[in-house]
Amino acid sequence: TLSPYPEAAPNALATQMGNVNLGPDPNAAMMPTTELVSIDLYNQTPEISDLYAPPLPINLPLTYSATQAETSNCPPKYMRTTLKAIPNTNSLLKKSKLPFAIVLRPYTSLLEEDDPVPVVSDTIISRCRRCRMYINPFSIFVDNGHRYRCNSCGIVNEVPQSYDWDSFRNVQRDRWQRPELNYAVVDFLAPQEYMVRPPQPLIYVFLIDVSFISISSGMVATATRTILESLDRIPNKEGRTQVAFIGVDSSLHFFSIAPGAEEASQMVVSDLDDPPFLPRNQDLLLNLRECRQGIENLLTKFNSMFASTRDSSNALGPALKAAQHLIENIGGKICCFVSSLPNVGSGKLSLREDPKLLGTNRESNLLHHQDAFYKSFAVECSTNQVSVDMFLFSSQYQDVATLSCLPRYTAGKTQFYYRWNASRSEDALKFASELSDYLSSEVALEAVMRVRGSSGIRMSSFYGNFFNRSSDLCAFPSFPRDQCYVIEAVIEDTITKPFASFQAAILHTTSSGERRIRVVTLSLPVTNSLTELYASADQLAMMHVLTMRATEKALSSNLSDARDGITNKLIEILEVYKKNLAGQNTGAALPLQICTNLKLLPLLCLSLMKHTGFRKSSHIPSDLRSIALCNLSTLPTSLLTRYVYPTLYSLHDMPLEAGTVAEDGVILPPALNLTSAIMQTFGLYLLDTHFQQFLYIGKDAVPQLAMDAFGVSSIAELKAGRFTLPILDNPLNTRMHAILGKLRSLDKGTIVQPSLYLVRGDGDPQLRSWFFSHFVEDRSDTAPSYLQFLQLLKEKVRD
Amino acid sequence: MNFEEIEERDGIRFTWNAFPSTRIESSRTIVPISALYKPLNPRPDLPPVLYEPVTCKAPCKAILNPFCHLDTRAKFWICPFCLQRNMLPPQYKDVSSTSLPLELLPEFSTIEYTLPRPPQLPPVFLFVVDLCQDQENLQSLKDSLIISLSLLPPECLVGLITFGTMVDVYELGYTECSKSYVFRGSKDYSSKQVQEMLGLPVSSAAAAAPIALQQARAVSGGMTASRFLLPIQQCEFQLTSILEQLQPDSWPVANDKRPQRCTGTALNIAVSMMESSCNNSGGRIMVFAGGPSTVGPGMVVSTELREPIRSHHDVERDQAKHMKKALRFYENLSKRVSASGHAVDILAGCLDQIGMMEMRSLSASTGGYLVLSDSFTTSIFKQSFQRIFSRDAFGHLALGFNASMEVVTSKELKISGLIGNAVSLNKKAQNVGDTEIGIGNTNSWKMCGLSPKSTYALYFEVATQTAAAPQSNDKGLIQFLTLYQHSSNTFRLRVTTSARAFADGGSPLIINSFDQETAAVAMARIAAFKAEVDDGPDVLRWTDRMLIKLCQKFAEYRKDDPASFRLSSQFTLYPQFMYYLRRSPFLQIFNNSPDETAFYRHMLNIEDVNNALIMIQPTLLSFSFEHPDGKPVLLDAVSIKSDAILLLDTFFHILIFHGDTIAQWRNAGYHEKPEYANLKELLQAPRVEAAELLVDRFPIPRFIVCDQGGSQGRFLLSRINPSETHNSATIYGAPSAHAVLTDDVSLQVFMSHLKKLAVAVS
Ligand SMILES: [Zn+2]
Ligand SMILES: [Zn+2]
Repeated sequence: TLSPYPEAAPNALATQMGNVNLGPDPNAAMMPTTELVSIDLYNQTPEISDLYAPPLPINLPLTYSATQAETSNCPPKYMRTTLKAIPNTNSLLKKSKLPFAIVLRPYTSLLEEDDPVPVVSDTIISRCRRCRMYINPFSIFVDNGHRYRCNSCGIVNEVPQSYDWDSFRNVQRDRWQRPELNYAVVDFLAPQEYMVRPPQPLIYVFLIDVSFISISSGMVATATRTILESLDRIPNKEGRTQVAFIGVDSSLHFFSIAPGAEEASQMVVSDLDDPPFLPRNQDLLLNLRECRQGIENLLTKFNSMFASTRDSSNALGPALKAAQHLIENIGGKICCFVSSLPNVGSGKLSLREDPKLLGTNRESNLLHHQDAFYKSFAVECSTNQVSVDMFLFSSQYQDVATLSCLPRYTAGKTQFYYRWNASRSEDALKFASELSDYLSSEVALEAVMRVRGSSGIRMSSFYGNFFNRSSDLCAFPSFPRDQCYVIEAVIEDTITKPFASFQAAILHTTSSGERRIRVVTLSLPVTNSLTELYASADQLAMMHVLTMRATEKALSSNLSDARDGITNKLIEILEVYKKNLAGQNTGAALPLQICTNLKLLPLLCLSLMKHTGFRKSSHIPSDLRSIALCNLSTLPTSLLTRYVYPTLYSLHDMPLEAGTVAEDGVILPPALNLTSAIMQTFGLYLLDTHFQQFLYIGKDAVPQLAMDAFGVSSIAELKAGRFTLPILDNPLNTRMHAILGKLRSLDKGTIVQPSLYLVRGDGDPQLRSWFFSHFVEDRSDTAPSYLQFLQLLKEKVRD
Repeated sequence: MNFEEIEERDGIRFTWNAFPSTRIESSRTIVPISALYKPLNPRPDLPPVLYEPVTCKAPCKAILNPFCHLDTRAKFWICPFCLQRNMLPPQYKDVSSTSLPLELLPEFSTIEYTLPRPPQLPPVFLFVVDLCQDQENLQSLKDSLIISLSLLPPECLVGLITFGTMVDVYELGYTECSKSYVFRGSKDYSSKQVQEMLGLPVSSAAAAAPIALQQARAVSGGMTASRFLLPIQQCEFQLTSILEQLQPDSWPVANDKRPQRCTGTALNIAVSMMESSCNNSGGRIMVFAGGPSTVGPGMVVSTELREPIRSHHDVERDQAKHMKKALRFYENLSKRVSASGHAVDILAGCLDQIGMMEMRSLSASTGGYLVLSDSFTTSIFKQSFQRIFSRDAFGHLALGFNASMEVVTSKELKISGLIGNAVSLNKKAQNVGDTEIGIGNTNSWKMCGLSPKSTYALYFEVATQTAAAPQSNDKGLIQFLTLYQHSSNTFRLRVTTSARAFADGGSPLIINSFDQETAAVAMARIAAFKAEVDDGPDVLRWTDRMLIKLCQKFAEYRKDDPASFRLSSQFTLYPQFMYYLRRSPFLQIFNNSPDETAFYRHMLNIEDVNNALIMIQPTLLSFSFEHPDGKPVLLDAVSIKSDAILLLDTFFHILIFHGDTIAQWRNAGYHEKPEYANLKELLQAPRVEAAELLVDRFPIPRFIVCDQGGSQGRFLLSRINPSETHNSATIYGAPSAHAVLTDDVSLQVFMSHLKKLAVAVS
């Protein structure tokens, strides 16, 4: 395609290289996994379109399944494994050096209706009497269908009574229509015995920092206005949802509203001695429906109540304890909106960040929590079914590392708004939009998750935000719909069966008060071949596991160990491949070979090491590192991929159809490799990291481009930084809006609204250097270019 | 000498209106020289005096008064107390014998100066409200509180604290919504902690106490007082809406428990807040208690219902397990609250005790009120509460605030002490005597709350060792200087100067000057004061001994001949007063609860001679067809007649007691028939009389109507002289009067013992 926005100079056409996009091989996904195709990494421009391609199909014939339904096996968006074939012995696994793990995303959308799963609503749940595996499409019926063989342990179980009886309509039902025999992902409506108590209502305790900095940044005003405007979006079908509000500065400010009352009463507790006390035993938890008028009035005047404050203290620890105390018998969510460092009472933190530490070995200490309160309190919360979510708004050091402990162990989330100020409309809109989506998201409550494997397989490590209560039982006071979990497995006994299964079961209460079990079952062929193992490897799942491991290392040890962990694993894999699987004669002098399905793994590893979370640098504030680690350890694979290897689009010369609407929605331009070599000085580019979007305009851009894209006659009129793209009446601008919109709506399971930045090729060097820090294939001060990295790898890979 | 006239003019009554001239003689008169003085005795006739008083040189500091010798020519005056010569100030240059300033005129032995510098803050009223009550009680209390806002001058500052399981301090200046600062009920906060938590400036340690004639210190933190204490006119809407929204304490109470009520903590917080916000400026902390304190410092009983609240028996057997700790706590609080100048009123609305006994020091040391009622729905509470805010003839609140009283005496007299609701200012002036009666070792006291009824008993001794030849013009002089914050937002100085002649101890002058009513009350206060610390029997023996000694000294008799015993008219009623004092609730505690005893003794220390006398010896009126308008009768069983209606006034109770026959007639409905209109009138008459008694009474007495033989009659039977007990009933027929079941001796037996002992050779 010829760009309508050419280089100003006529003789620059020759530089248009690397724009060749072969696109994914349409047949690649159909190839049998057993076939191992080696490539030489050296001779390849990384085919980054593979990052967006669907993973390899599972090579397991449907004949193994009970109904042979196409939906019998698990779609990768719910569960994918690093290996699409299971090694039959541990020695094979060890020999392969490949990580063996499940990447689990039980929910793919914030609202169930956006991506519903079938529901088994007759409360008949059949589980293996020995291994407790739930009946699933790969259970095998024997004995004329009176019994079934467990696909996990092989024992024969009775089919439950009335399994073929529709008790609602009182008619015989067709067993083969039962959802759990047709679908790999189902929700079982749980019978009474799955409840230890009646389903609790959804509760949000809003804990709002009302200190001076919070008021003056506009955080309190924005948060309360957004909550007010989102009241109808908070899940409340049954009218049972409750909310509570606690303001915190040097005191705790409680608000009580009697049902039906128009006005709230404010109660100030300044006595923060441990344990903190509640000023009332009723009317602090407000039924959203019954107290609606009072809540609206309270939220309307909330900010003005504290508008004249001079208080710069933040008793977050006592406030958290009080909030926990308020709901300890019911459970629920505590949403903290915090703009300052907790500096009063238990859990007070010191301003420990010293810029001199950044980039040194001691930097890693800043990534560990500084006060034991947060971890021990998190355990207490988890026991009482309380989740903590942190919305952090720093103006200075916020100690994200310590504060994110609470979400980490209580299945919560940490959102960080760096240098946020409501006076920037982009900041206000982003937070408001994310908070509103957060509030509207359905939440499962009082959840426990167990992941089982077929006999011979044991789950060994768990990653993600939850509390690991016992070996394989993970506790989630509330279960978020926008997070992902990684579980590593080992082979304990030789597996003799042709296929084996993984099953995740999440017992939970829905926001509308139903006790349910979401069961996700994935069945995979078993192999004894190293070749087949390598041929079945999933490079994105692999990257996900390495990310989780590195994150864990950074949090428990240090950054250099985290980086080393990534490289060493990569070298091991390349070594195994070189020794056992590489083609004998590739023609190249010193090839660095890997199978084609893992060909992006070195690039992804390099990207990971250059990521804000792990990069060696003395310029990354520890709060930014910490939030990166939080994000890395919770994002689902598709978003994590973009976060690790951001997507770059060229807009000035994008194909004509890009940005227009086709059958599947807006067509995106082809993604480009992250190397600045392809950047034209007259071009317009979009970089998307999931959390940020950058519009980069080269210094030599023609005036028409500036006019069409931004409505200015020259790029000199553009103000770099936080940016709102104006709406203009021309095709380029319209298509840009379409593309930005498409990118923001790619995933229905995230609340994140990326911040848009404008970067000028001739602009602010700091902003430019941030922008170019994402160009992972380039060489940076402290890290090699992709080619240099390959060279390094080759040197380290032993024969 | 007309005691009543003097009382009306100066608000003072002396036990002796002539003083024995020497120390020895004085001690032989048994009843000490004592004045019952009412500093705020209403004198609407007094002209306003809007200038500073003229004072004698230090250390005397007496104020120019009608007993001064004035040299109009040389423009000096001689102080009758210290005999120093003082120049008249320049503005008195025109004084002449025909043009004397008011304070020198004999009719202005009591005068009140309005000092030019006003207080910094109007009076403060801080309501401390118990929420551990049922809805009905609380509603009634809320109604009363809301009414009180309209009774108070609109510029007065008000505040609100509620308590139950927690303590809430309301920020009345906050208009966004109801806002309170909440404290744990169970915690003993320091004053500093409370002030910090409320965001108030931390008060300096004990503020220097003001003394008479010193202007009140500048009030600290006028601005900060405004968040929690606001002028009514500014916060009435907010406060009313907060009061209307108050709900009973909602923390759960198990069936076998009492509610968690942290009265002590609430008071501590109230005191701490006032210390910071209006230190040394007039104010009252008004506590409304619906039950006993059960948690925190100052608890008087645990929350366990199986543990009853302490009785006099428990106290006597040292089994009141919380009492000592609670007493210590409240006494400590009393010291703080009196130091900062605020009075504490405790108003109980509870059938049972609320711990008034433990808390009494708060009111006793500050001149606060105690009100006992069964609930806040009763008219006893409602009307009594409203009466606190009654106005004087000028429309001002009839209350004085943050007062101090200094007593100056001429050199022959020294001060033994004061008995009344006040604290010592520890001013050991030269005129402080050796013997201590009541609160001694000082010539100045502080009374944070004063009402026109507040009456203080002051005790004096004669210092003169040897008898100089008594001179007819020798007089003992006493000057009372009472400085207080008036509700018109002025400082007032009330000066009363009394002079009484000295006379030889046994002279008729002394005998005739005896005011037996005042003496009875002065002695009753001493007895009740002793009873607070001593055993009951000891106090009874002491009153008996004093009575016998007095009779030995002043009766006419022949030795060992009881029949010859005669008392002169000035003394005849005194033994009878002492007889009834022995039977009074001040000394007979076992018929009452400790709270009631505390209340009764507290009232004795407030009221003047006339009312105190009613408390000691109740009045009894009999209404019959012969005396349809009522006739005073003996407080004696013989007065109970079946065809008469009795009206008993014990000050605390007003009882209408229908004789058997009257009751039968009434039950038969005769009074409804036109032909028996006289019965209807007779039934009505005591009620009319009772209503009149109620007019001026505080607190409102308990009103009881009963019939002869009814259980409520015990209030009458416990107080009357059991002249006709069952023991003395005649064998040959019905007793001539109502038989009283009692082990107490009758007045007749008491008198015969007295005579016997008085005439016995010692
Ligand atoms: Zn099984
Ligand atoms: Zn003098």
